[in-house]
Amino acid sequence: MRDVYIIGTGIHPWMGFSEQVFADFAAVAVDNALKDADIEWKKIQAIMAGIFIYGGNAGHLSGQYLESIFGETGVPVVNVYNACATGSASIRMAYNSVAAGETDTALAFGADVSPKGFLTAKSDNAVQDRDVIRWKMGGMPNPIYWALECRKRMEKYDTTEEDLALVKVLMSEYGSKNPHARFKKTYTIEEVLNSVYVCDPLRLFEICPVSTGAAAVIVTADKELIAKADKAVKINATTMGSAIYGDPTIRISALSCPAVPEAPMLSESYSASRQAYEKSGIGPEDIDVLELPDNSSWHYLVYLETCGFCKDGEADKMLREGETKIGGKLPVNPSGGFSSHGEALSAQALWQVIECTNQLRGRCGERQVENPKVAMAQTYGLMGNSGTTILSV
Amino acid sequence: MENMANKVARIPNLVDWSTGEVRLMSAKCNSCGTYFFPREHYQHRPGCSREGVENVLLPHKGKLASYTIQYYPCPAPFKTEKKITPYGIGLVEFEDEKIQVAGIITDTDLKSLKMGMEMETTILEMFTNEEKQQVVTWAFKAVK
Ligand SMILES: [Zn+2]
Repeated sequence: MRDVYIIGTGIHPWMGFSEQVFADFAAVAVDNALKDADIEWKKIQAIMAGIFIYGGNAGHLSGQYLESIFGETGVPVVNVYNACATGSASIRMAYNSVAAGETDTALAFGADVSPKGFLTAKSDNAVQDRDVIRWKMGGMPNPIYWALECRKRMEKYDTTEEDLALVKVLMSEYGSKNPHARFKKTYTIEEVLNSVYVCDPLRLFEICPVSTGAAAVIVTADKELIAKADKAVKINATTMGSAIYGDPTIRISALSCPAVPEAPMLSESYSASRQAYEKSGIGPEDIDVLELPDNSSWHYLVYLETCGFCKDGEADKMLREGETKIGGKLPVNPSGGFSSHGEALSAQALWQVIECTNQLRGRCGERQVENPKVAMAQTYGLMGNSGTTILSV
Repeated sequence: MENMANKVARIPNLVDWSTGEVRLMSAKCNSCGTYFFPREHYQHRPGCSREGVENVLLPHKGKLASYTIQYYPCPAPFKTEKKITPYGIGLVEFEDEKIQVAGIITDTDLKSLKMGMEMETTILEMFTNEEKQQVVTWAFKAVK
């Protein structure tokens, strides 16, 4: 396998609902990535596209639609869906194609337009789509699942409502310094604790909404392109994990979970991160900056444990003692996280990779972590989907 | 138990009241021992032969393993005639079956919810359909 580098990244800033076509958002991100890599469109030898699930035929074949905007060249185009880890799947395929020598330069992208209100059932067929049951009979939107797990955590460890609020305080501080972020207002602990409960113990400011956004990453093994890039960033590993039998977490969509754990919580993310550590020879102790999926404040805490940055039940202490701040031992989510961006399903994992890339390239201005060498982007997706990407300079 | 004759589950094969008690419709794999809910949502242990899966009913009562209170209405296709928000959602553990099942908490003072408390399976009337039947979902309530 060849060494693979990121040479260009592009983002369409995160925002709320839009009537604009998703492919146009994607085109902005891809254009920015091409400019950043300083290469022509014709250099792209494969397109790995995250699909836009609410976009019908065009959304499910997003790669073809994107290709037609820039000019069709006949290269392989693969469209992929792995829930919120879709971007992880697309960059992994681009990486594998280049690492294996099938292509020299490949594009991974994803774009998503927020649904107008809430995320809800995608079909009406409860026989084929078991997700329908929780919507028609369960009354269980996504944050319910996080709240059920958060309550278990608070019972088991000493996680407090102040800890949950502190996550938002930190994320809002960093998000306010990120031009790509959708939410730029900063909050105090009191303001967060005064926000309404959505599903207790989680409050309005402690869960992330859905957003519109697009992200694109160009990877290559082409030595000339690597040399001319503005600081190419090496991909040490980019992996996907699925769940492990006996994982006690109640997964979004599911109506039940095992009562007796036989596997780690969030085992899909456990799997993805352990594969990445093994493949890269890099461990949690080597990571200088981490982007994790803070879909809620609970996620922020549990992911530090799932990915092995501390022992179970110790994440709250890391947070309280400032270890996860920019300038701390392990800066977490200097981007402001999902809390400041919201979820743009097929784009968000790539956006996390881009934040890590920008940190390693020293491009993050006021939210720049001091001289990082190794970064990690960790995703989370419903029903056992996860990806980990480890990068270095 | 109240008259259940004119009631129908919104989606079949999830909740049963034919035995005189409301119980959830699960399936058990006799090879790997795993219980599933819903029963078609197979979760076999890797390497399981998957032989001998039988439909079973979960016990009527279990223990509250987690809960939350939902403060805004669940969007469509969820539908109830009466306003139920805020409502509880519980994760109820059936110990012998080693499974926890999620469901709406009804007929219970939400302030009284405590981890580990005994819960029983019940139904929640959602709305009346065109055939004038009460469309119901499974739910849990505190054992009084
Ligand atoms: Zn089995």
